[in-house]
Amino acid sequence: MANAERTQHVLTARAAGLVGCAECGHVYQLGTETCAVCGTRLTSRDMTSLQRVWAWLFAGMVVYIPANLYPMLRTTTFGNTQESTIVGGVFELMDHGSYGVALIVFFASVIIPVSKFIAIAYLASRVQRGKPGTTSHFHLYEVVEFIGRWSMIDVFVVAILSALVQLNFVASIHPGIAAVSFALSVAFTMISANSFDPRLIWDAPEGKPV
Amino acid sequence: MSDPTPAEMVVSPPRKSVFRNLSFVWLVPFLALAVSLGIAWQNFADRGTLIEISFGNASGVVAGETTLRYRDVVVGTVEDVRFTNDLGRVLVYVRVDNDVEPFIDDEAAFWVVRPEVSARGISGLSTVLSGVYIEGAWDNAPGAVAQQFTGSDSPPLNQPGRPGRRITLATDDGTTISYGSPVLYRGVEVGRLEAPRLSADGRTVLVDAFIDAPHDARLTQATRFWDTSGFELSFGTAGFSVDFDSIASLVTGGVAFDDVYEDGEPLPSGYVFTLYEAEEDARRNTLVRGPSQGVQFAIQFSESVNGLEAGDDVTYQGLNVGVVTELRSRVVETQFGPELTLLVNVSIDPQRMGLPAETRPEDTVDFFRFAVETGMRARLATESLLSSDLRIELVVMDDAQTARLTEVDGELPRLPSIQSNLSDFSATAEGVLERINALPIEEVMQQAISLMDAFEQLARNEDLQRVPGSAVALLDDTRALVGNEAIQAIPAQIEAAVNDLTALVAEVREGGAVASLNSALASLDEAMVGINAASQSAPALAENLAKLTEEDIPAVLAELQGVAKTAQELKLDELVASATATLNRVDALIAQEAVQGIPAAVTAAIEDVRTIVADVRAEGAVQALGSSLRNLDRAMAEISVASQDAPALTANLRQITEADIPKLLAEFEAVATTAKDLELQALVDSATSTLNRVDTLVGSQDTLELPGTINDALTEMRLALTELREGGVVENLNATLQSASDAAGSVAESVEDLPQLTARLERLVAETEAVISSYGARSDFNTQTLSALREVQNAAKSISELARAIERSPNSLIFGR
Repeated sequence: MANAERTQHVLTARAAGLVGCAECGHVYQLGTETCAVCGTRLTSRDMTSLQRVWAWLFAGMVVYIPANLYPMLRTTTFGNTQESTIVGGVFELMDHGSYGVALIVFFASVIIPVSKFIAIAYLASRVQRGKPGTTSHFHLYEVVEFIGRWSMIDVFVVAILSALVQLNFVASIHPGIAAVSFALSVAFTMISANSFDPRLIWDAPEGKPV
Repeated sequence: MSDPTPAEMVVSPPRKSVFRNLSFVWLVPFLALAVSLGIAWQNFADRGTLIEISFGNASGVVAGETTLRYRDVVVGTVEDVRFTNDLGRVLVYVRVDNDVEPFIDDEAAFWVVRPEVSARGISGLSTVLSGVYIEGAWDNAPGAVAQQFTGSDSPPLNQPGRPGRRITLATDDGTTISYGSPVLYRGVEVGRLEAPRLSADGRTVLVDAFIDAPHDARLTQATRFWDTSGFELSFGTAGFSVDFDSIASLVTGGVAFDDVYEDGEPLPSGYVFTLYEAEEDARRNTLVRGPSQGVQFAIQFSESVNGLEAGDDVTYQGLNVGVVTELRSRVVETQFGPELTLLVNVSIDPQRMGLPAETRPEDTVDFFRFAVETGMRARLATESLLSSDLRIELVVMDDAQTARLTEVDGELPRLPSIQSNLSDFSATAEGVLERINALPIEEVMQQAISLMDAFEQLARNEDLQRVPGSAVALLDDTRALVGNEAIQAIPAQIEAAVNDLTALVAEVREGGAVASLNSALASLDEAMVGINAASQSAPALAENLAKLTEEDIPAVLAELQGVAKTAQELKLDELVASATATLNRVDALIAQEAVQGIPAAVTAAIEDVRTIVADVRAEGAVQALGSSLRNLDRAMAEISVASQDAPALTANLRQITEADIPKLLAEFEAVATTAKDLELQALVDSATSTLNRVDTLVGSQDTLELPGTINDALTEMRLALTELREGGVVENLNATLQSASDAAGSVAESVEDLPQLTARLERLVAETEAVISSYGARSDFNTQTLSALREVQNAAKSISELARAIERSPNSLIFGR
């Protein structure tokens, strides 16, 4: 809201008749086909970006559902098999008094993915509706893109445990369907975030690309 | 005019198709969605079927955790644990995998696997930590799907789908069998026993066993099971052995089996094996190749079958050919009422008897029918020398009584049995020892000592001095006997009898009997002429009669007269006097009216005969009369023969009196002087036998009865003649003549005794002579010696009797009398 005022003064490269290379940052005149430095194909705006964002976002959301419904871990202790979902694991950790770990797991496995979904959807919908973005939107995008890889912490935990705890009868841990689903979900949302062209944030009036 | 200016063309870019700009990336979410939905659907579809298992209790069963396993693979999970409506049982709901669900039909069994510690080992140990799980068993053929099951607390032995065979064993005693006991084959566990149960009638214990594949293929009718539980101590000729199979079978009992012969027949359904107590027992009846092979026979024994039991051998010439299958008693209705007999059923293996393998039972029975007719018998025999065990022996007795195979419908063919010659060795040995123990050895020794004492005493015994006195008295008795009236009366009686006969014949002659007879014969001649059936006997009769009257009787009389003369010449005055008196008495007798009536009676009888012959002219009578007359003739001949001996007798007597007695008396002295040199035993024996014979002679009835016999004969003759006279009836004629013939025969027999009498008299005289010759002077020495000898003889006789008794029955020494 505070940023809304500033938006008016931003001069985009496109408005200046320039086009920047997304890879190396070199600036060329509009119409230049390829970057002379790195050979990347130059586009002022990627008009299919939004589609890809939405598509990957949906895919991520779809696989996030089984990631929560199905068990993440199958723990067999002395022949006694326990299956735990993500949320179930959190509650179990809380039952055991490991509130810190529970918080981390909950944060990494639930808060962050869900927040990413919301953030990406928010940004994409703003661009879709042609609302002009502000710096804070850009920051939001950067946070989303940065934090995305850390969502894999759950998957890493499962992978490491599965690899380490294979004590046959005494205890053994196997990944569940949810692990794959969750990993996919994280991957899809990262792709989704990557697919987003942040330059679109600055294109205030929708449908008026110059 | 102004040029029309074209209207400014409004060019709007063609509306971009949504689909044209559609990125292929959109495939990804749809793919993800599809995959997720697919997984979800699959999960839903695969979540399995809910089945309900009821348990008595659900100890350790936790919803969501307890698994259902099949062959130790998890195929389901308990979803819920509830109670039945009446809280009677626990219902466990198990979500079963769909791929196994079709196999869980109504034969499926479920049980809870818990840790278990038993003699057979520890099982279910994993459940100590992991908690119990439910094990399921079902066969591998899909069946009718069922949803409700009843679970057990322990694993069933007969698990569905487990290859193997379930069999039933029968035994008498179930104490050594417990649930789960192993079934061993050559020491390898190949099956398990279930809990024993009683048969319907409560007499046998049945136990089911499950033999795992492939060992169940070993089960045939040749298979025998025996109990291996506990351990077995045996002590025999082979030494001392301890035997037990395994610790498990030691504790819980076990059963082993083996094939006792090759190529056993396959098991029929419902076959029940017998569980033997020991391997030895099981192997013993190798022979019974199952009921189908053995041919059943019954044997009836009249003696005790103590020691015989089912399973004992049946042998033929020492070869095992069968086995005893059953012993039972049986009530047989006899004419004296019901009688209890023992019936033994045996099973004979025809192949063992040498019959071909394809022999049918009927052929076997035929064979035995033939064998029995040729002497085959069953009898009991002892199994061994020292045991009282019996077996049945088929023996062929050449001298057996005829018997047949008894075949009654509805019963087994019955082999005949014979009395066994069982000798119970142990009992006999025991008896021998008992007898030896009971032998009065000390008494024998005592008696021997006292015998010696008696010998010793005998030497100075005063009894010795009494011996001569006794002998003298004995001789006196003998002399008195010789001088006895009865004996002295004998010659007189003979004389009287001869006189009687003479008188009789004279009477006959005088009484016109001969004339009557002649006339009777004339009448007979007439009769014979009349009936034109000339009898050959009549001339003979006539001849006989003529001969009798003309030749024989005079000869007899002449002989008798000779006898009488020689008798009179004897210097035995008393004898002669006695004879005279007897003859007088005979005279008196003959003078009696009855005797005098005899000739008249004979005459009358002959007249009657003539009358009868004349009247009736009966055939056959003449022959009878002829034989009667022939008998009479024979009698006369015998009398004549006897009479011929009489002179010899008298001659002997005379010789004795004239020569021998003085000579013997003369020898007395010499004998007496040489008495001590004589063989004592011979002397005593001779004296004894002499005295015995004298006794016998004195006691002889014949001696006393002889005169009476002659009289009886005459009386009989008279009676016969009386009967002849009184008969007069045609029907009695033959009998009468027969009686006459018998009477004549009796006379002949009586007369036959005469030579014996004379011979006996002769012997008596000779023996008297021997007595006299062996008797010495009455010296003290002699008497004492004789007395001593008598004692010795008595003792010797006693010992001899004892020896003879022992010789006769040597075992009486052992067995007693």
